[in-house]
Amino acid sequence: MKAISRKRWLPLLAAGAMLATTLAGCSGGGKTDESAASATPSAENVYKEKYDPPVTISTAWGVDPTLTFKNGETIENSVATKWAKDQFGIDIKSLWSVTDTNGAFGTKLRLAMSSGQEMPDILTIGTADNQIAQDLIDSGMYEEVGPLFDKYASDTWKAAIDQDPNVWNAYMRDGKKMGIPVLDYAYNHDYLLWIRQDWLDKLNLKAPTTIDEMEKVMDAFKNQNPDGLSPDQVVPLSIGFKTSMNTWMGDPSWIFGAYGTLPQQWNVDADGKLAYGSIQPGMKEGLQKLSDWLKKGYIPQEAALWDENKTAEPAVAGTAGIIPGPYWMSGWPLKDTVQNSPDAVWAPIEIPAGPDGKAMRHGTQFTNGVTLIKKGMEHPEAFFTYQNYLFDNYANPEPGSQYDNGLFAGYDYQLDADGKQLPIEEIDGGYVNVVRYLLVRDGARIPDAQMKALQSLAEGNEPKTKLEKDVAVNYGKETPAAAQVLLKQDAISYKNMFSGPTTETMKSKMDYLNKMENQTFNEIIYGKKTADAFDEFVSTWKAGGGDQITTEVNAWYDQVKK
Amino acid sequence: MKTLKKTWPFHVMLLPAMIFLIIFSYIPMGGIVMAFQDYKPWLGISGSEWVGLDNFRYLFEREDSVQVIWNTLFIAVLKLVFNLIVPFVFAILLNEIRKTALQRGIQTLVYLPHFLSWVILGGILIDLLATGGLVNRVLGVFGLGPYFFLGDNDWFRFTVIVSDIWKEFGYSTIIFLAALAGIDPSQYEAAEIDGATRLKQTLHITVPSLIPILMVVGTLALGNVLNAGFDQIFNLYNPLVYEKGDIIDTFVYRTAILNGEMGFGTAIGLFKSVISMVLILISYRLAYKWAGYRIF
Amino acid sequence: MYHKTTGYRIFNVFNTIFLIFLAVLCIIPLVHVLAVSFSTKAAADANLVGLWPVGFSLEAYKKTAANPLFLHSLWVSVMRTVVGTAITLLITFLASYALSKENSVFKGRNVYSWIFVFSMIFNGGLVPFYIVIQKLGLINSFWVLVLPGAVNTFLVILMLNFFRGIPKELEEAALIDGAGHFRTLFSIFLPISLPSIATVALFSMVFHWNSWFDGLLYLNNAKDFPLATFLQTVIIQQDMSSMSVNPKEMELISQTTVKAAQIFIGSAPILIVYPFLQKYFVKGMTVGSVKG
Repeated sequence: MKAISRKRWLPLLAAGAMLATTLAGCSGGGKTDESAASATPSAENVYKEKYDPPVTISTAWGVDPTLTFKNGETIENSVATKWAKDQFGIDIKSLWSVTDTNGAFGTKLRLAMSSGQEMPDILTIGTADNQIAQDLIDSGMYEEVGPLFDKYASDTWKAAIDQDPNVWNAYMRDGKKMGIPVLDYAYNHDYLLWIRQDWLDKLNLKAPTTIDEMEKVMDAFKNQNPDGLSPDQVVPLSIGFKTSMNTWMGDPSWIFGAYGTLPQQWNVDADGKLAYGSIQPGMKEGLQKLSDWLKKGYIPQEAALWDENKTAEPAVAGTAGIIPGPYWMSGWPLKDTVQNSPDAVWAPIEIPAGPDGKAMRHGTQFTNGVTLIKKGMEHPEAFFTYQNYLFDNYANPEPGSQYDNGLFAGYDYQLDADGKQLPIEEIDGGYVNVVRYLLVRDGARIPDAQMKALQSLAEGNEPKTKLEKDVAVNYGKETPAAAQVLLKQDAISYKNMFSGPTTETMKSKMDYLNKMENQTFNEIIYGKKTADAFDEFVSTWKAGGGDQITTEVNAWYDQVKK
Repeated sequence: MKTLKKTWPFHVMLLPAMIFLIIFSYIPMGGIVMAFQDYKPWLGISGSEWVGLDNFRYLFEREDSVQVIWNTLFIAVLKLVFNLIVPFVFAILLNEIRKTALQRGIQTLVYLPHFLSWVILGGILIDLLATGGLVNRVLGVFGLGPYFFLGDNDWFRFTVIVSDIWKEFGYSTIIFLAALAGIDPSQYEAAEIDGATRLKQTLHITVPSLIPILMVVGTLALGNVLNAGFDQIFNLYNPLVYEKGDIIDTFVYRTAILNGEMGFGTAIGLFKSVISMVLILISYRLAYKWAGYRIF
Repeated sequence: MYHKTTGYRIFNVFNTIFLIFLAVLCIIPLVHVLAVSFSTKAAADANLVGLWPVGFSLEAYKKTAANPLFLHSLWVSVMRTVVGTAITLLITFLASYALSKENSVFKGRNVYSWIFVFSMIFNGGLVPFYIVIQKLGLINSFWVLVLPGAVNTFLVILMLNFFRGIPKELEEAALIDGAGHFRTLFSIFLPISLPSIATVALFSMVFHWNSWFDGLLYLNNAKDFPLATFLQTVIIQQDMSSMSVNPKEMELISQTTVKAAQIFIGSAPILIVYPFLQKYFVKGMTVGSVKG
């Protein structure tokens, strides 16, 4: 019996092997694409404001899960695709779309490539999927964009991108620009400290400007709480380390900034080289400080378990005294604090300085993704027609111009009988964040435009332009003042200077190094190891691939640095 | 030919299942070759570079390989054992409750946690198990604690295993309840006449009747011997407990899934499958040899 | 009667108390979710809600009821669960009957059962699976939710083991009467296998109700999503560090109370199914009906 069944396995295995070959045969179609289409687009293409007969641009969508649709529309067939057709004579052809949660867009892109599906002409990929963007560039399927950009992009767009030439860095290969960075508003995730002004006032304290002063304030918040909370109920400083020591809300990285380094990012050192922030000597002092604060109960006892949203909870509950976060936090989530603690007043303050008067915070890149253009795309200039128009007319529209109220009436704005803008809650059928229907997410953003608008409001001017009105309505009333606080410290904002593709050694070693780093740091903070464990970590880090990674990172940096 | 004449209805009965298995399971199995490739999506299976055992080597050559594999085994095996025993005992105890309404009520309530994802349960656990949370306050009444359940290497695995049992035991009980329903009541009647106590009846009738299904569930669970529960660990672990809490799946997530290293991901999958297969084979043989029972 | 002994009575009291205690432990999370769904947003965002709503509000349910995507996904889920379970049950029922025969009766049985087990343990991963789905034209089709998971080896093995518990005499009697295997299966095995069929059906339903990954990957439009996929897009936190967001969007993303309401409504149907199936677990039903 057994012998029989064993023999019967053989044909089965053979069949399996055959199937494997079949599969192999029907995949990998992307490769043929590449060889067939390596020619540069033909020279006779002419840039036009409107194409007649219409031209086609194919794309694929990673749909934001919160994006809504109305009037039976879909991402493939929406008010924005109709608009593209009418306005520019551009047919937007959707190859596929996917709701982008759990990294579904990146996965689907990889699967589409694996199964040899047609790849889109124009593809916009967010920073979260940076790895796949880098892979696509390396696949050779996508075109060098530098010459196209120089030839076709409008002056507004070029000026916007020139605000920070580093935005190209991530997409450079051998000095060639392989992808157009998607611009975003500056300082969006730079942070400052939000502090309970009402508590400060009741305690007769001034906003802290140094780490030492801050300790006194935190101690007073905890032990003489003005709202009468018992010490164990108060979280004087709400921060968390679960995901990272360098994040966007409840962030602890400025504490290390006070001692001269920012963890988990690459900073330019005194010699102009890139150095990994987590191994600099300042870290040790910062960790000791945090350890001390944990012991004294200034930071949450569960900080190692807390992610960003968790740190907001005590802030909203009215039990936290200070929370680091973006300048727009008064609009969300802090505006709900008064419902739980009626006297609560949050005020934005500057990042405090360390013993040497030094302060640092991590900066926000001016970009949140990249747009790729496929090799052999018939009309790459059509993409520029589309995008130039948005930069020239929509990115910062003049008062009274066509897009002064928004992009599409009945979607992101609606006017009443007198031509006045309705609050967005009253739009028939609901507000739609319609810029997410566009080929490039968020349409077109000029990095400094939003801060300028806020600045103008902070100076007491009435909102006039679309952006000013937008921030005035949607960003909470303390936001302009907060933006000013943020800008006052723009000199201490340091971006992660490494934005290139994962290096060879990073691929094999970085995960372990990160793990060891997080573990050591948290153990020091929790007093399970002494601060000397830090020195040990640094030498292990260097020997365990860190030095090699630093070399590779600098090799990359030398190539892109201007 | 003669046997076929007799057995053709069986082949026909298995035909639909076989068609589905071939299409959705055996054809895609060809993809296992990716485990031996540096798979690049744009090159496909036929065009990607062959790298032999490199993908496997990476799993074993990391500084923390032993730790991660050991953590996985430790958590997975204990989960496996307790997720058999607890539902088994629970089903028997529940069976003793004579009021049908109460019995069904309890049965339904314990089945609830299965339907909440670890994202939700993780958030709830972080609060419940906080040093100032409900559990520690209750323990405080007895003069115990406070314990840092989720942030202490000594407690983390315990917490993970117990909370997993808490989530799943009610759901796993169903199989045993169904098996209990199949026991012939006349056996109990006979024992009753012999004057056997309830404990004896349980040990001599109930337990033996449930053993085959216990073996079946146990053997099939061996297929998960290297799955320590990604969703749960991912939502609960943190840098303080990497030493005892990092498992193969979380590490694969960070290195392979996030970076799109599909070859490496497939290699890990294959490694886990081979181990499972071996264990299932052994357990199948043992069950046949010792108990004379073919599990499948 | 053992029920009347003192020892058993004491045991019974403790046993009842213990099991009720376990049941209470198990409902804590769901009660918490329910409490959050009835609370005000400010209280929920501040994590002030325990097991009782803070500042009672029906807002979350109004918003959920007004969301066409949610309601439609509920419908898709019901459809996939009903259709999927029906297909799975039929396939499982047929296959496990054949596999429950002795090796001597059904030559080749072993090969089949290993084919099942092998398929459960080995898989080629997402890439080849996706290619197959695509070549079959199942992308964007309702059937992608139902067909690939139609055969579940675990359920087949479970069922075949239940079938083995059925007394041989029954089958032999039927076969002697001249009934074929198909008739034996449907007219004799079916009625006495209700507890096991109920178990398999329940497992299959729960599987379908909870699956979300297939919907996300193979369906393009959120309006075709089953509920589990829809919930996944709602409850999973976005990585904010690389997205440009503003307070207005964060407000939309972080609807704590609405999420809670959706989670609760989303699990309600599958929770309600169970008590209905319980009546098939009545003790002694199987064999009793046979002998009676």
